[in-house]
Amino acid sequence: MATIAEGAARTRSGQRSRSLRQGALTGLLLLPAGLWYVILLVVPLGIVVIFSLGKTAARGGYAPGLTLDNYAAAAAEPGPFVTSLWLAIAGTILCLLLALPLAYFVATRGGSRKALFIVLLVIPFWTSFLIRTYAWLTILGPDGLAGFIGDAIGDPAFRILGTPVAVLIGVVYGYLPLMIFPIYVTIERMDRTLVEASKDLGAGRWATFRQITLPIALPGLITGSILVFIPLMGEYVIPAILGYGRVFLIGNLLVLQFLEARDWPVGSAYAVMLIMIMLVSISFYLWFTSRGRKSRDVSVL
Amino acid sequence: MTDQELGDYLRRISGTKVNRRGFLAAGGLAASAAALAACGNGAASVAPTSAPTAAPGTVAPSTAAATPTPAPTSVGKDLFMYNWSDYVAKDNIAAFQAAFGVDNFTYDTFASNDELLTKLQGGATGQWDVSAPTAEFVPAMRDQNFIQKLDLTRIPNAKYIDPAFKGLWWDPTNEWQLPKDWGTTGIAVRTKIVKEPVTTWKEFLDIAPKYSGRIVIVDSPGDVFVAPLKARGHSLNSTDPAELEQARQDLLALAPHVLALDSDQYAKKLETEEAVLGLVWTGNVLPLRDKPKTADIVYNIPTDGTLFWLDTWVILAGAPHLDAAYAFLNFIHDPEVQAKETDFNNYATPNDEAKKYVDPKILNDPAIFVPDDVVAKLEGAKDLSRDPTRIAIWKEFKSKIGS
Repeated sequence: MATIAEGAARTRSGQRSRSLRQGALTGLLLLPAGLWYVILLVVPLGIVVIFSLGKTAARGGYAPGLTLDNYAAAAAEPGPFVTSLWLAIAGTILCLLLALPLAYFVATRGGSRKALFIVLLVIPFWTSFLIRTYAWLTILGPDGLAGFIGDAIGDPAFRILGTPVAVLIGVVYGYLPLMIFPIYVTIERMDRTLVEASKDLGAGRWATFRQITLPIALPGLITGSILVFIPLMGEYVIPAILGYGRVFLIGNLLVLQFLEARDWPVGSAYAVMLIMIMLVSISFYLWFTSRGRKSRDVSVL
Repeated sequence: MTDQELGDYLRRISGTKVNRRGFLAAGGLAASAAALAACGNGAASVAPTSAPTAAPGTVAPSTAAATPTPAPTSVGKDLFMYNWSDYVAKDNIAAFQAAFGVDNFTYDTFASNDELLTKLQGGATGQWDVSAPTAEFVPAMRDQNFIQKLDLTRIPNAKYIDPAFKGLWWDPTNEWQLPKDWGTTGIAVRTKIVKEPVTTWKEFLDIAPKYSGRIVIVDSPGDVFVAPLKARGHSLNSTDPAELEQARQDLLALAPHVLALDSDQYAKKLETEEAVLGLVWTGNVLPLRDKPKTADIVYNIPTDGTLFWLDTWVILAGAPHLDAAYAFLNFIHDPEVQAKETDFNNYATPNDEAKKYVDPKILNDPAIFVPDDVVAKLEGAKDLSRDPTRIAIWKEFKSKIGS
């Protein structure tokens, strides 16, 4: 009897120490990510919020204070927010329309060349983003596509650069892979027998796509859309280069506030408002896409 | 990829030099470390005396006393410079490295004075030794303890500076900065297409609707405000509300006709005739005159007066390599070295002695070394980048470009 009781006690203490060890291990594993999260996300965010409530120092920069004037000043100019929002939405939709067929093709028809297609999609990332954007200056410029179209329609003044179209082309090009890969992964993992079953049960191609493939690919679509939408809202380089500064986005406004006006508090207020707008629009988007699908969590996020 | 490689690449695709305010304002994104060490390594191994062009003081007797032959005492192996992109001739950097044994010459770039100030306000002191702000920003840097007083006994070559550039409002005692080079803001015209004379800011603003969508403007508020203010005969440093309101209306009338706000590729846009009129700086436009296809381009210094800017060498507070910094400042104002700078930059040097060695073609160019009667009309800028009225107008103008 005694030995049994002893044994049980030993097991219990063994379990306790094991769970302790596991807790320590979990903590250790979480430490890098946690530190990263706190140092690079929470702290800067806190600083931005504090700055947004402060005053502008006489020589520019930040001086302590507690005021909402910066938000009033920022809210007085909604123009760049609106431009950014429609450009981000249009860019996301365009990416979606281009990425879905492409990802579908690579995942289902890629066959043995699947790896090759993936490599081809990744290769552009080997070159600096800035260089690739500058390359579009040549492609779309008066010696390139714009000149060609201009000649064709007899309008020598025709141009693409410096228009929202150029910016859209630039952002779709830049962010397309971020959309393709999540969609590709979900379609690639899809059980093909479901499609066959759907066909056996008499569904047409469109019905199969709408009722089987699309719902399965949805988490990928959502992830991709968010991955594209968020950086698009803060986009700054592409409108500056391809938009010639004629497409004035919230990112450009932020640069102006911080680097040209040296007005950190108002700039921070813009930044906080941008974060709020993104939170609201993404929450709405998630709610909209998950209506009636309560059971399915968006774990891909 | 470093900025340097990127700079080379941009220069190749644009076919022109991208200098001074050249590099895109995406500095933040493009990162900034541009190590020029690579180009110096080869030169550094050459014995200083065997490189005649590299060793200042071997040719002109007048300079011999002033310039240090390879320093007997070491100035250290490092120098960190924070400067406009492509603003020092590479040959001169290599020569400096060879002469003083500075193996690691780091050249980081900023795109605007405001960016320089922002970085320093953000706490980047002690990171660089030497920088080159525009003169009107020197007082702000002095007052915030971002720069240190120069010991002029360590810069004997400062004696060559033209007195016209001494005792100006930004530095009455000439001990905080050393003039680097200067230029003007003016009007570039493709005369092949624009037949009307555009020699004043008034003409520039009046003619803008006719060339709608073909006007390029540098992305710099201090320069853009010059046009509407000077066109109406005001000081370009005006902060008078009524005058600024007029300027605002003139700028908003101009905005729809502007093709691009661009400090980086404006010369390229003028070259391809995408733009035929420009409110620009001299340096990048002048080389276009030498190309057959763009020989019709002219750079006019507006006769109703315009801005002259003076860029200055400063030593930053807490400079970790003070000896190397002084060695560089003295080296760069050696007349022959300085002349090479002028040939490279296409900007006028304030160094009188150096003019003897400057390429005569540049020296006799009225767009660079401006005639005296035009100089009388020039006005130095004040730092008005914190003026709230101007900021508001600039923001409004910028958001209305092309719309």
